[in-house]
Amino acid sequence: MSPSATIGTPGTRVGDSSGGAGTPGGARPAYVLGGNRVPFARAFTAYARSSNQDLLTAALDGLVARHGLQGERIGEVAAGAVLKHSRDFNLTREAVLGSALDPTTPAFDVQQACATSLETVVALSNKIRLGQLESAIAGGVDTTSDAPVAVDDRLRRTLVELQRARTPQARLRALARIRPAHLVPDAPSASEPRTGLSMGEHQALTTAQWGISRSAQDEVAVRSHQRLAAAWDAGFFDDLVTPYRGLTRDGNLRADTTLEKLAALKPVFGKDLPGEATMTAGNSTPLTDGASTVLLGSAAWAAEHGLTPWAAVVDAEVAAVDFVHGEDGLLMAPVFAVPRLLARNGLTLDDLDLVEVHEAFAATVVCTLTAWESDAFGRERLGLDGAFGSVKPERLNVHGSSLAAGHPFAATGGRIVATVAKELHLRRRALLADGDDRPVRALVSVCAAGGLGLAALLEAA
Amino acid sequence: MVGARAALVAPAREEHLPSVPALGTLYRAALTGAARRALGRGLPTRGRAATGSAPTLPEAALPAIALRVTDVRADARRLTDYQHLVGEPASDTLPPGYVHVLAFPVAMAVMARPDFPLPLLGLVHLANHVEQRRPLDVGDALDVRAWARDLRPHPKGTAVDLVAEVSVAGEVAWTGVSTYLARGGQGIDPSAGGHGRDPGPASVPHDQAPSPDSTGDPGTRTALWRLPADEGRRYAAVSGDANPIHLSRATARALGQPRAIAHGMDTAARALALVGRARGAAFTWGAAFGSPVRLPSTVAVAVRRSADGDGGAQGWVVDGRDARSGRHHVTVRIVPQA
Repeated sequence: MSPSATIGTPGTRVGDSSGGAGTPGGARPAYVLGGNRVPFARAFTAYARSSNQDLLTAALDGLVARHGLQGERIGEVAAGAVLKHSRDFNLTREAVLGSALDPTTPAFDVQQACATSLETVVALSNKIRLGQLESAIAGGVDTTSDAPVAVDDRLRRTLVELQRARTPQARLRALARIRPAHLVPDAPSASEPRTGLSMGEHQALTTAQWGISRSAQDEVAVRSHQRLAAAWDAGFFDDLVTPYRGLTRDGNLRADTTLEKLAALKPVFGKDLPGEATMTAGNSTPLTDGASTVLLGSAAWAAEHGLTPWAAVVDAEVAAVDFVHGEDGLLMAPVFAVPRLLARNGLTLDDLDLVEVHEAFAATVVCTLTAWESDAFGRERLGLDGAFGSVKPERLNVHGSSLAAGHPFAATGGRIVATVAKELHLRRRALLADGDDRPVRALVSVCAAGGLGLAALLEAA
Repeated sequence: MVGARAALVAPAREEHLPSVPALGTLYRAALTGAARRALGRGLPTRGRAATGSAPTLPEAALPAIALRVTDVRADARRLTDYQHLVGEPASDTLPPGYVHVLAFPVAMAVMARPDFPLPLLGLVHLANHVEQRRPLDVGDALDVRAWARDLRPHPKGTAVDLVAEVSVAGEVAWTGVSTYLARGGQGIDPSAGGHGRDPGPASVPHDQAPSPDSTGDPGTRTALWRLPADEGRRYAAVSGDANPIHLSRATARALGQPRAIAHGMDTAARALALVGRARGAAFTWGAAFGSPVRLPSTVAVAVRRSADGDGGAQGWVVDGRDARSGRHHVTVRIVPQA
């Protein structure tokens, strides 16, 4: 599938030959043209000394090198990190300035927990579709190895006062208020601010609520490792990943893992809840360092740069659940976002060739699918006539997902979008070769802290 | 509600205080009072000297006076610290628990009077029932009245209600009834009870605020409170309520607790904050306290909707229990008013 050669001026509609990629509102399509990430590393391993800016710059430079964008002024770059130092207020712009891109390339930061880089893909695609941008780079990064450590609030207030103090006496008075207990740093925590429960503890509650078995979770985990390993072996990631700091594959990947090995692991979450604890280190994502980027552009920009559009970013839907009042589980928002997204586009789960459900925990995936398959949930919570539908295993996370690759929070959406866009492109090309011109679609669904969920619809170009 | 308010009529005699009394002074006065009682075998033990036949506990035993302070205003900085600690949004509207913080010292002044029959220190906060008729703002000039009512026997000692009433521009905006228990030996002889009276917090007027139910299914856990060892001091700093029972192991031991315990209004305020804006502008809320939260502690919390027949009207129930043992600490019930 070659891109349209039509050159559009900003704001005009540009026809495309993508086989009818949906463009609600009549806007012109925005395409995924490529992607690049660094191999993801388990925390405190290969990237132990690397900062968010280091990792994001590395991922960006790999993307620039692969697509010949050295010295190029990109319309805009958007990325973000979940665990962020206050000095990184312009993280993305700083990464751009350190990269081989033209220094006049603008940038902005986004932070939407684990949905960060999917949100950058959505926001930048929308700008392209509106004609505000011709090209863009979306991305995200996180490192738990270099996470910011905050000082105790009382010490912080004293230090701020110390800076403001004008006389030695005032400084002494401020210093005299410091107590040994104030010197204990606040370690970064993955707890929800409003509930004090960690993400794993929240998911454990949802897992128990939906009665998800240990074996169902371990199966998801094994499949994730096997599929990611197969994709690496097949060279699928050769044009999606740039080695960094000696790491050439995702450090968390265990190609040889088995159900037996996973069954031997002790539960780590939900141990103080009634009933069997089922969530282990094997079916939960580990703390991970990594960065991802996605190259986006209009058909015209792609043609000018000799790039082949992989997939159009068709539409997106965001949702949130009220986990504070116990209405729904923390990570269940995509369960509501996806039905709305598909309904707006006149689609059902059966119309999707590929479904990516971010594996925050194996249980998150199983809970999501179980809710969609539930007749009662479909009627009572989704307002449907019955169950929303089911996802065939061979369409779900076909190249593995976060359980195997690891989950550097803000980088995960970018990893998924680049992976699935390339797969869409390959499938469409194969179908066309067989004379089949049907649309090939993918769904990307990411749950996030704060009870958020973001889903995006992509269609092969 | 008319009947309930009738039950909360303030004594006719009223004494104006020039300003809100400092709690530190009151606690110090209470400490000397406690020493005096211990030496002189004062009022609290008088019941024990009586014969086995139970004496009644007339209202006359309580000071028949209401204390009043006008033009009470919230300090914006202290309010902010309070909101940050308990997890309330830092708006200019006073959180429901903060109105208690402002009004409480006046109630304390009633309890610290020499003619108050129970020893102030060591009193256990059993329950709290509040009617908030309209939101109060940081700039409002509050008129606070407080008095004691309903001295009564309790299976574990003697209970009493302290009523605090907050008005703005002559209109009552907030009424709180706090129920305290003086444990057996410290208070009036527990054997003096009886007379078929409903003991404990349940004897607080039911129509004034919903009575929390500390039994039954806590519901699905929705939050965890990790309360550090110095939580009592943190709450004391934002509330001004430096009751020694919350401050340190040593001061708590002196009052019969093995460790410092969390302030009941701290946990109640956190529960109120979890329900948040769903409380509405006018609402009643009640808190019932079970076993004290010995610090440090992790409290497993469950927020759930309460429906008709679920212990009362439609609203919210927040249940806090020890995360490990499951022992009940606090239940807060909130009912938005139409």
